Amino acid sequence: MTILLNAENVSVHAGAEQLVEPVSLALRAGRPFTILGETGSGKSLLAQAIVGTLPDGLRASGQVTLDGHALDLARPGGHRALWGRVIGVLPQEPWLSLDPLMKARAQVAEGHALVRGLSWEDAGTAADRDLAELGLDGAGDRRPDQLSGGMAQRVAFAAARAAGARIVVADEPTKGLDVARRDDVIELLMREVREGGALLTITHDLALARRMGGDLAVVLKGRVVERGPADQVLTNPQHDYTRRLIAADPSSWPQGLRRPPKGAPVLSARDLSVTRGGKRLFEGLDIDLHPGEIVGIWGPSGCGKSTLGDILLGLAHPDRGTVTRCAGIAPVRFQKLYQDPPSAFPRHIRLGQALDDLVRLHGLNAARIPGLMERLRLSPILLSRRPTGVSGGELQRLALLRVLLLDPVFLFADEPTSRLDLITQAEVTELLSEAARETGMALLIVSHDPDLLDRTADRVISLGTAPEGDAGTPRGVPRAGGGERLRDRVALV
Amino acid sequence: MSAITTDIPVTARSGWTRTQWAGTAILMLIVAFALLAPILFPADPLRQSLRNILGGPDAASPLGYDHLGRSLTARLAAALRLSLWIAAAAVVTSAVLGMAVGVLAAWRGGWVDRLAALLADSFLALPGLLMVLIVSAIVPSTPLAFWIGLTLVLWIEYFRLTRATVSRLIVAPGVQASRLLGFGPVYIFRRHLWPELAPMLLTVAAFGAATAIMTIAALGFVSVGMRPPTPELGLMMVEMLPYYREAPMALLTPVLATFLTLLGLNLIAGGRRA
Amino acid sequence: MIRAVGYRLAQAVMVALLVGVLTFLMMQALPGDMAFRIAAGRYGYDSVNAAAAEAVRQELGLDRPAIEAFGRWFMDLLRLDFGTSVISGAPVIEEIRHQLGASLQLAGAALALSLLIGPPVGVMAGLRAGGWLDRGLLVVSTALRSVPQFLMGLILIVLFSIQLGWLPAAGYGRPAHFILPALTLALGLAAASARITRDAMAGVAGTPFYAFGRWKGLGEGQLFRRHGLRNIGVALVTFLGLQFAMLVEGVVVIEAIFGWPGIGHALVHAIFGRDVPMVQGTALLLGLGFVALNAAVDLAAHWIDPRGTEKAGAKA
Repeated sequence: MTILLNAENVSVHAGAEQLVEPVSLALRAGRPFTILGETGSGKSLLAQAIVGTLPDGLRASGQVTLDGHALDLARPGGHRALWGRVIGVLPQEPWLSLDPLMKARAQVAEGHALVRGLSWEDAGTAADRDLAELGLDGAGDRRPDQLSGGMAQRVAFAAARAAGARIVVADEPTKGLDVARRDDVIELLMREVREGGALLTITHDLALARRMGGDLAVVLKGRVVERGPADQVLTNPQHDYTRRLIAADPSSWPQGLRRPPKGAPVLSARDLSVTRGGKRLFEGLDIDLHPGEIVGIWGPSGCGKSTLGDILLGLAHPDRGTVTRCAGIAPVRFQKLYQDPPSAFPRHIRLGQALDDLVRLHGLNAARIPGLMERLRLSPILLSRRPTGVSGGELQRLALLRVLLLDPVFLFADEPTSRLDLITQAEVTELLSEAARETGMALLIVSHDPDLLDRTADRVISLGTAPEGDAGTPRGVPRAGGGERLRDRVALV
Repeated sequence: MSAITTDIPVTARSGWTRTQWAGTAILMLIVAFALLAPILFPADPLRQSLRNILGGPDAASPLGYDHLGRSLTARLAAALRLSLWIAAAAVVTSAVLGMAVGVLAAWRGGWVDRLAALLADSFLALPGLLMVLIVSAIVPSTPLAFWIGLTLVLWIEYFRLTRATVSRLIVAPGVQASRLLGFGPVYIFRRHLWPELAPMLLTVAAFGAATAIMTIAALGFVSVGMRPPTPELGLMMVEMLPYYREAPMALLTPVLATFLTLLGLNLIAGGRRA
Repeated sequence: MIRAVGYRLAQAVMVALLVGVLTFLMMQALPGDMAFRIAAGRYGYDSVNAAAAEAVRQELGLDRPAIEAFGRWFMDLLRLDFGTSVISGAPVIEEIRHQLGASLQLAGAALALSLLIGPPVGVMAGLRAGGWLDRGLLVVSTALRSVPQFLMGLILIVLFSIQLGWLPAAGYGRPAHFILPALTLALGLAAASARITRDAMAGVAGTPFYAFGRWKGLGEGQLFRRHGLRNIGVALVTFLGLQFAMLVEGVVVIEAIFGWPGIGHALVHAIFGRDVPMVQGTALLLGLGFVALNAAVDLAAHWIDPRGTEKAGAKA
């Protein structure tokens, strides 16, 4: 197999600090290469060093040979002539990487016209052909805001390669996409490989790494800790970190004990119907939530998962239907955890101050805080910091602590771990379900990850359906068990 | 917790930038001169003296004398005090007014919000100078007219900023969480809204003060502002213009004082990190 | 789009109401013998008598209850019937038509000059944010911002008219008369538009799509033409709408200083002589001009960026 990209001793520095230790790797035509790592592991820096897109202030060193062109990374600027022609960069969150005011066709055609030198007429035809090949017939006249996330991804893919690049580097291609869209992305990337291109994928997504196959390198704190054929690394991990990473994936979690609902419901909803932006999200939905019960809500993005939780909390209003709370319980005992932990705290005050404010407002017992901190594995030093000075996982546990001080009977957790890394996600989810079991609060947890809900929840409510068959529905999840019935499952496309 | 180091966004450095310190220093010098000159060089800014017509600097007036023999030191200090007082008063009232309407509009939403926005946009359509001119024709006392007129001009910016910020924050998870935790509007204002508004308001206040000082001077310069013999920056310039050849410094002093005051304010306003 | 038009119409009515209230208050504040003074101004001191003053009082509605007088006042205003100038006696509409031409010449020249300087400098500074041009622009624009337009006028007069004697300090009619007032206005406007363009350009140059354009293989020039120009367009066009207020304020002061026979010059005189009809007519013209211009800006912005037009009202 031809080696299209060869990187030797690539490292990244910020001043005197080494962010990525020297790495060598080779990309072969027809074989995918995946770099797996968590946020901040340096995996993106490594890729950026190789393709010459490092942000200002960072320095790379090492040698890279791209399809026969040798470059010294210590001297920046050498990549410019190869971008588009030899190496195509598929950026993170492609819907942000398309010109918001330009139609899709023009964004693809400019590579053909301005880089390859076709006439604008031929370039337009070529762009239409590229788009059609990716199943985007007729999308050429649309602006990015008129494209779905998956379509934008394919347009960006066509645009990145229009000038003829055979080496493609994809940075977090599934970031911000639904699980259901992941398969499309994998298909898109694998196609490139089958046609004899070389592909380097950077991801935090274990499932993506598994499905891509080929070669895999696991990165931790700027160092490659393990590498080899993907199936071998993932089935028989050698390094402790790789093992923990694989164990933290929801699909390898142990199956939690499912309990039947007990006692009088703390919250009941009857006949809920909701329409948003002209789309009917759900209709005739009944829900009962019992003490200590964990209920999952699953569905693709835009299906109304979060809206349903907000309605149960009284933060949003249904078009029709009623929500009844168990009588005699203080309103503050119905609480919520947010998707983005930093945004749930006052930005400018210390976390300890925020907790003190709460204790003073409700005359709570502040002596409970140290015990809860310990229980949630939080260091007391965090209380002297502001929200921006604490990691997402810690902040989410602090949010849980804040809520637990109020002895909640109901907690709505809106994708509480979707912004967290795998290992942190496992920790937080475990603490959440323990809290529910120990305190007897009803936990309603929203997630886009069917495995996570399957392992954690007593029962799962599915909203909306994926476009094709079972591709997106949770495996082995009881759809609407227990006390609810879902009269209509509204198909969303 | 391997991710901690790079996961955390770098906290924006709080406190003042070097540019802002420079601006503050310049402004402090001007204020100190305006306040201390009457003590160090006591003189009636209106008292004329034939002996001192266009006289150069002396011990009693280091800035010399004007065409009527009046002490330019006393006049410049008095002019600066007048401008700074009016500017400060207008900035305070417009800030209170603009923020109150802005918070109300964003918090209440609906027709209150739409009406307030329409009103602000309509005020915006009238050039500020025109507004001050018309008010000065209604209100008999010129300093009072400037104060009212400038307040009517400057409140819009506070309103727009407050409204935009509050309506963004009010729907954000932080405020929603605080409400769910049982906190009331006062707490939400103190902990969520005010810390976001305060730094922006400083910028608007500095720009507003600059606008006020510029307006007062410009109207004085074209003879529709303060009336002679009141010492005022614009008036002083137009008075000294005919004597430019004989006493260039007499013209240059109010020009420089105006420039430095505005520069100080602009440095404070513009020096914030993006 | 219909909502945006409706909003601008509401704004126009509100502006008219505001002008009506302000000028009504101005008239109410006229001292008791003002009718006499106005009559004197109109007919000459020799021929003024109590009857003439009474006629003026009647004509201006100075004798009616405030509410009724305001109703009549506002209806006249909505019919664009401003009456006659108290000072010159000519219809206000005629006076304004006369002066508007001169003002538009000056404003147009200044705007054209500022657009030649500001945006190009802003684009270059924004493309290399933090570079020497960017830092230089920051210093120059902060300094220029600290020099009010009347002061700039004064400095240019002292320099070019008094000191060097190259250009006339005041007057109207010859091309040479244009240079100083237009340059005075243009310098401030150019500094402001350069800063706006710079911020917009730096914003666009920092976007993922600008970087992606590079990775596609485009050169810097191609990148700017394809992805830069249009994306800074909305900010620029919106700024032009808001700049109108700045331009008008500048015109008022500059005309007064340079003796330019335009609308600003007349306005200052009208305020000085308490010529309420003239003030009213001019204020309404300027206010509605602002609204109309911003309606045009809405349209242009929609043409450049067709996304999310529902926020057109909030933009101004």
